[in-house]
Amino acid sequence: MSPRRRRWGNLVVTLLGLVVAAYILAPFAWVALSSIQPEKELFRVPPHWIPRIVTADNYRFIFTGKFPAGYQETGLLRGRISEKARDALPALRNSTIVALTVALANLIFGTIAAYTFARVRFRGANPLYVFILASRLLPPMAVAIPYYLIINRLGLLDRYSALILIHSTFTLPFTVWFLTIYFRRVPPDIEEAAMVDGCTRLQALLRIVAPVAAPALAATAAFAFMFSYNDFPFALFVTATIRSQTIPVIVSVTAVNPDVSFGVVAVAVVLTMIPPVAFAMVFRNYITRGLIAVTTTR
Amino acid sequence: MNLIVPPRPKYREARYAYATVLPVVLLVALFTLYPIGFAVVTSLREVVLYKPESTPFVGLKNYVDVIRSEFFTSAWGHTLTFAAGAVPFATVLGFGIAHLLNARTRMASFLNVTILLPWAIPTVISGIIWAWIFNSSYGAFNGALYSLGVIERYVPWLSRPTTALLSVLFAHVWKEVPLTSILYLAALQAIPDELFDAARADGAGALAALRHITIPLLIPTTLIIVVYETMVAIVTFDLLYVMTGGGPGGATSLISYFVYNSMFTSYNFGQGAALAVLLAASLVVFIVIYLRLLRSEELYRE
Amino acid sequence: MSARRSIVSLLVALSLTTAVAFGATPVQLTFTVWSYSNDVILDNIKKFEAKNPGIKVAMQDFSWEKYTDVMTARFVGKTSTDVAYSSDHWLQQWAAANWIVPLEDFFPQVKPYKPDFAPYAIEGMTYKGKLYGLPYYADTIIFIYNEDMLKKAGFSRPPATWDDVTKMALAMKEKKVVEYPIMFQFQDITPWYIEVFLSMVYSYKDFRMFDNDLNAIFDKDGSAAHKVAQWLADGMRKHKIINPASLETTEIPLVKAMGAGQVAFAVLPKYNLADLNTPGAHAQAGKFKMALMPGETHGTVGFVRFYAMTKMAADRGKDARDAAWKFLEYFGGRTDGQFAVVKRWALEKGLGFAQLPLYKDQQIRAAINKWGNVTLEEQQSKLARAKEALTPFWGPWSLEFQKEMNKALLGQKTALDALKASAAKWKEMKK
Repeated sequence: MSPRRRRWGNLVVTLLGLVVAAYILAPFAWVALSSIQPEKELFRVPPHWIPRIVTADNYRFIFTGKFPAGYQETGLLRGRISEKARDALPALRNSTIVALTVALANLIFGTIAAYTFARVRFRGANPLYVFILASRLLPPMAVAIPYYLIINRLGLLDRYSALILIHSTFTLPFTVWFLTIYFRRVPPDIEEAAMVDGCTRLQALLRIVAPVAAPALAATAAFAFMFSYNDFPFALFVTATIRSQTIPVIVSVTAVNPDVSFGVVAVAVVLTMIPPVAFAMVFRNYITRGLIAVTTTR
Repeated sequence: MNLIVPPRPKYREARYAYATVLPVVLLVALFTLYPIGFAVVTSLREVVLYKPESTPFVGLKNYVDVIRSEFFTSAWGHTLTFAAGAVPFATVLGFGIAHLLNARTRMASFLNVTILLPWAIPTVISGIIWAWIFNSSYGAFNGALYSLGVIERYVPWLSRPTTALLSVLFAHVWKEVPLTSILYLAALQAIPDELFDAARADGAGALAALRHITIPLLIPTTLIIVVYETMVAIVTFDLLYVMTGGGPGGATSLISYFVYNSMFTSYNFGQGAALAVLLAASLVVFIVIYLRLLRSEELYRE
Repeated sequence: MSARRSIVSLLVALSLTTAVAFGATPVQLTFTVWSYSNDVILDNIKKFEAKNPGIKVAMQDFSWEKYTDVMTARFVGKTSTDVAYSSDHWLQQWAAANWIVPLEDFFPQVKPYKPDFAPYAIEGMTYKGKLYGLPYYADTIIFIYNEDMLKKAGFSRPPATWDDVTKMALAMKEKKVVEYPIMFQFQDITPWYIEVFLSMVYSYKDFRMFDNDLNAIFDKDGSAAHKVAQWLADGMRKHKIINPASLETTEIPLVKAMGAGQVAFAVLPKYNLADLNTPGAHAQAGKFKMALMPGETHGTVGFVRFYAMTKMAADRGKDARDAAWKFLEYFGGRTDGQFAVVKRWALEKGLGFAQLPLYKDQQIRAAINKWGNVTLEEQQSKLARAKEALTPFWGPWSLEFQKEMNKALLGQKTALDALKASAAKWKEMKK
């Protein structure tokens, strides 16, 4: 390829990249801009693309409960503003704890099960493997009530464990499938040598296989985290108070109330992005490396 | 599925095997068998919550009622239209973006982070954001087009049947494209560089390499993505519910909305369950294809 | 402090502790709400518990939009729930499903409250002749206008009939005050759609939608419903005075657009007027006024949200029932002669009420006049009526109605055809 054509190629790639970045980022930019403006400014036609008034009032409201300017002036009315949005902080804590636990559960139970499917011959292995995979494909709408009944019977309503169980049910099949493929790609020689030396199967997995498989494990953990963090329908049914309500529940509650302030909701959305993005940044390289390892043809 | 190769199981190995797969199998069984049983049993009875006195066995009546009802055809029509738009867009866009992510430029490393954002934001929240952006009175989309001089007055995107469907598609693809592009990226990076080098040595251009190397090697990944995205499009609910409520005039109401509606608005659990079973059955078609493809992809890799 | 007084207080304290220690363990009540001003609810609960040391209340809250979905799961799963928010448009389903019980059967002392409540509220809480609740709040659907815009178009009084509305809207359009003066919340599935439509129908003399045997009569040529539907279709398609974006609009976007000065006329639940006149929230705050519903009689819809007692609570025994009654009376009835909690909602949040004696309260009158007009409000609430023909299938039917009506507004069918189609749906569901 000539250098000139190459330069043109790079330019096209950069331009296309910008278009894609704009598509992906525009909504977030809009939300971030909205979070630093007073409510009234958000309904201008056309909008002020560069904010005319910049304020931290919305953030202050979420963190301290102090009303933004202009909200306490109508007679005896208390501030008519999304008070439920103030639950965003504890809800983020709940969401993060649940998602991290789900990721951890996937790492532990998913890994040892996948390793067994990949390495050990036992009666019923195939049917069990197919069963686990097929379960992933039940439509969520059809299972909301039965899931509620199960959780209710177990006495786990409004507890983290309810969410952790349901989210693990949805993520473990993927983890098992993904890691089974991965482990079958790792040459068994070293483990077998270790096992001849008296190592148990579990010890071989922990000491020898797991370190090598770290990227794939990280990728499955990330998928599990994201699924759990994204869930709304199940969280809606099995949570009842801020003890376990997660961030999608809180934001959707806030957004349908007549006292909603879009500026305050925008703050909640901005905060919502922080935990998964932090998680994704840490695991980003592992995710692609893990996927490569699984889909590699070499 | 032929996963297991080595010889005869030893007793201790088998015990270890059952012990290690047990937690996953039990959990999945608990949350799979009961819901299936619940749906099937309910769908064969007349279960209307506000008629608690009796829930007689009615055989396949609920199924017949559901299939005969006028919404069944129209909702499937909308669902398939939606899927026909969502799947190609999510796939092709993912394919293209994967190439951008794979380019060795500064832009690529920036995109590698940003592409994760839509994935990280819960669907119901992204629905709220998009409804806000497409709003006809104060939405940013209208604002941008207006500021750029493309439109003279704000357009009610979500209030016209065609543009409403397009708007929802736009938001849906935005949410789905991170996953498809990451899957494609992984597959793309797995293609050995030597193949491209050889092609280049033979004098093949970039397009020829794309046609003869990349696309054929990405077929298995493409099939998985297509089937997965089809299933997502069929069961999608939150985004549409928040953005259009199935409107205007029912133009964006999909089949999963009717499962929800018969159960939670009409309190007709019998019909809701029948509808859910039918939906699950149609998904099974895709599941079978899905599992076949996964297997063929594994074979392909061996 | 004198010795005698301290001895007395010691004795009181002792008797209280012994009452708790040796009496029955505190009765626990589970109270479900949709999330709105939870801090006020919790504060009310705290005050209630202080007054009733033997009762503990645990509140659980769910999104307003998904409240019935979650409650359905709770009732089906028999998750313990004793007192719950409910609403006139769910009452039929909940009562028929045996999830909530008639208060009259357990607490005859509820009957003397009836004369205090607005008739539309009583009707909205009554199923098969029995009262199922005490009001949390009750309100009317009202006509709200932007006084500034009206003046700019040269009018000094709000419209009195729907023809006036058309005339004024056309004038505003012509004078470029606003492109589309009227906006509705007509998204396919918003529960307010039908309430707004009905409130317009109820502004006519011959307002009936159904006959005494609950047969649909609204699809007759020239019926009030037909007039309203035709007026809406003409406003949208012929005069272009109704914002076409109405079809995607729900309550909040409508209020925000109105507050930003893009809407001159809207039909909304009354509490929105308090919000619209909140300076921090809206650019046009302070310019919004209510008028009696335009039309022949100025009638409208009155709706009620109420506290109900569940079947589960009724089955728990006398202690739980007594505690539930104390709770219901504290929240929806009188405490020391005052509708204290209802009054608080009205003062602090601008919520309407069905407890008519409150209109005599000077504090309330002053508070309402800060953002509204208490005289007009009282007058409108006397003209309000409950929704007709509430049946267990009313909810699903209203969704069908709204979808059909939107097809007419899109020009896919005539207004009369849309009414005929939804009347056919009603007939089918009634079977």
